[in-house]
Amino acid sequence: MKRRDLIVGAVALAASAAVAPAFAQEWKPTQPLELVVHGGPGSGNDVMARQLTTIIEQEKLSPVRVQVSNRVGGGSTTAAAYMASKKGDPNTIAVFTIVWVTDPLTQEAATNGLNTLTPITRLIEEPALIVVKADAPYKTLKDFVDAAKSKSGQLKQSGGSITSRDNILRQLIMKQTGANWVFVPFPGGGERIAAILGGHTDIMITDPSEAGEQVRAGKLKVLAQVGKERLDTFKDIPTLKEAGFDFQDIPQTRGIVGPPGMPPEAVKYYETFFEKLRQSAGWKKFLADNQLLGVNEKSEASKKFLITYEDMLRVVLKDAGAKVVR
Amino acid sequence: MDIANGMLHGFYVALQPMNLWWCFFGCFLGTVVGILPGLGPAATISLLLPLTFKMDAAGGIIMMAGIYYGAKYGGSTTSILLNIPGESSSVATCIDGYQMAKKGRAGAALGIAAIASFIAGTVGVVLLTLMAPPIAAFALSFSSPEYFALMVLGLALVVLLAGTSLVKGLLALLVGLWLTAIGVDIFSAQARFIFGQPTLLGGIDFTIVAIGVFAMGEVLSSLDAGEETKMLPVPKGLRNLLPTWQDMKDCRFAFLNGSIVGFIIGVLPGAGGTIASFISYGLEKAVSKHPEKFGTGVIEGVAAPEGANNADTGGALIPLLTLGIPGGSSTAILLSALIIWGVHPGPLMMTESPDVFWGLVASMYIGNIMLLVLNLPMVPVFAQILRMPVYVLFPFIFGISIVGVYGTTGRMFDLGLLAGFGFLGYMMGKLKFPTAPLILGFVLGDSMERALRQSMMMYGGDFTAMFHRPISAVMLGLAGIVLVMPLISYFNRLRVKAITEGA
Repeated sequence: MKRRDLIVGAVALAASAAVAPAFAQEWKPTQPLELVVHGGPGSGNDVMARQLTTIIEQEKLSPVRVQVSNRVGGGSTTAAAYMASKKGDPNTIAVFTIVWVTDPLTQEAATNGLNTLTPITRLIEEPALIVVKADAPYKTLKDFVDAAKSKSGQLKQSGGSITSRDNILRQLIMKQTGANWVFVPFPGGGERIAAILGGHTDIMITDPSEAGEQVRAGKLKVLAQVGKERLDTFKDIPTLKEAGFDFQDIPQTRGIVGPPGMPPEAVKYYETFFEKLRQSAGWKKFLADNQLLGVNEKSEASKKFLITYEDMLRVVLKDAGAKVVR
Repeated sequence: MDIANGMLHGFYVALQPMNLWWCFFGCFLGTVVGILPGLGPAATISLLLPLTFKMDAAGGIIMMAGIYYGAKYGGSTTSILLNIPGESSSVATCIDGYQMAKKGRAGAALGIAAIASFIAGTVGVVLLTLMAPPIAAFALSFSSPEYFALMVLGLALVVLLAGTSLVKGLLALLVGLWLTAIGVDIFSAQARFIFGQPTLLGGIDFTIVAIGVFAMGEVLSSLDAGEETKMLPVPKGLRNLLPTWQDMKDCRFAFLNGSIVGFIIGVLPGAGGTIASFISYGLEKAVSKHPEKFGTGVIEGVAAPEGANNADTGGALIPLLTLGIPGGSSTAILLSALIIWGVHPGPLMMTESPDVFWGLVASMYIGNIMLLVLNLPMVPVFAQILRMPVYVLFPFIFGISIVGVYGTTGRMFDLGLLAGFGFLGYMMGKLKFPTAPLILGFVLGDSMERALRQSMMMYGGDFTAMFHRPISAVMLGLAGIVLVMPLISYFNRLRVKAITEGA
């Protein structure tokens, strides 16, 4: 290295050291923020992001506009690659879901794992209900598991992709109990629920918002719920743990991630920003409307969570029959 | 609340001045969105969602549903005029619609599309009003074997869509089936045929294939044929721009066919408007007295699919409103919108939120009339687009196609694909391969594969289960008949030949 470069480097270092503390308090977005989602307009993710921006607007949480940007393609891979291309940019953030973890694990072509980006916060954990048709002969999840043992491979579960949470939970329950039933993937939530209502499948693991109405109308009944504690609307339904199925939970989760090398002061800004969001009435109503659990986790904790999460998923996905590439 | 009282109450809600305005606004916006290729109703509803949070549920759903069924009206416009499908459910309309435009009958095609849309759309709403709960029960009886049989029946139509050479038709179909297999398979989480391209993990968007093969391919073929000096004929005078009585009479069966097929397929959560329009088109051709003329610009070939994709909306709302089950992306957003407004679509909605349920149903009668009034006068205006000289029109078609595709996905990669499919469409035209089977394979292939694999999982690999279930057995039987029919007529011809030669 030439001497001049060294001097320039030293000066720059000194300058940044002098500016950094002031910066840490002062970074604020001055241009519109880009909120990246991996689904197209109208997908579940997109709708959630748009609800989020509406809350931010209504509660006047952001000094600048927050603009939803759809980076669609290859599950989460296009969006993740887009984030990777925004290295160091403080004005771009993305909503991540479980797919951002499973895609890099199972797809050779998906090279931008969540931990190569900058996780900022986890916002939501999605509880789930394990439901059967109302006239099914099972009263508890144990009844179902017993039936699945005696009629091995004959009972059917309707679900999504084999990397989705419903299949992961099935694997965990089957592993613990030795029971065996079939997993039938359907791409759309509507088709899944139609299959169970029509009596073509026997069990389903789904979000409360999807099955809640059917339960209320007496078409489906809940055997157990997935989550740390019981939901207010399903007070008398045991959690998996209470029902005697005790394994490390793999929660369905969503949060916010920034591009790689996002400046720490920007990370700090977003941590505070989402803290304010959590306190807002609009966010609380959103969680209640959609029966979601709020999570309060900042950048460091989210990173740790995601590392252990990925390790757990790697094992479970292998068990589930998916080819794990990383 | 019984149906009569419900409807009375519904019209009371829907005729409130504010709700009338929302209905009009939704229908108008829907028409515009339908005309613009790329921007679909699902995307539009989702973009508008944040603006509607403060609306009341009845007004909001009336407007959003207006966008949803209004887009089906608008979708035919560019299909007929420019061979660019405005929506995926208007692809089948391109086949005969654009040929009509080439013959100077664009106005008649546009007019019949609006009229068929109105008739079938209204029939769909009537059936929604009268039969929602029992029809919902019917929809639930459909399981994977039935879906498989439905898709097989649909694919059997290739025989009818193939044109002169069955072999070429089947080859085109296989290419369509292959293209639809690209992407991650949900049964194994494995990527298929992505050639290391992460963008292909999610598969190829249907609009890219349809716009490329139809619109771009057609323009390239026309240029190649040296048509740059010719202009498409547009007759003068208002009367010559609208369908004649003879046209209306020719379409009698198409109206009925579109209404019934569209409605029934719309009710099924795993099918949708695109499939409905193709099956209705195929059925129309199968029963026609002059099937050989299909694909050269017959008016029934426009009326049947356009009717079907409109009756489809009435059908699709049944599982949404009575069971809380969305069948497609548009209905899925309607579902989340209703939840935001505090309405819970599902078995209890009719009794708990009669304002919203009956208000919406009643507004759809009004909306369909509004759409007819809105669309028919536009026909002569739109038909004038074809007066543009070809050196303006062709770049215009290219421009709209490119904007439409880029607007859907926002990826340069997809424009490369579009160019590729345009070239494919051109080559197919040059080598006399029919393009409709390719599109049909692309639309049905994915659902058919899934339904087959689901059925095999459900019945432990026992294929005979397909024939033990009455509905699937009947549909597979029908598919068999459709496939054998050309053989019979072939033998018949031989026999007639033999007889005449013997005599």
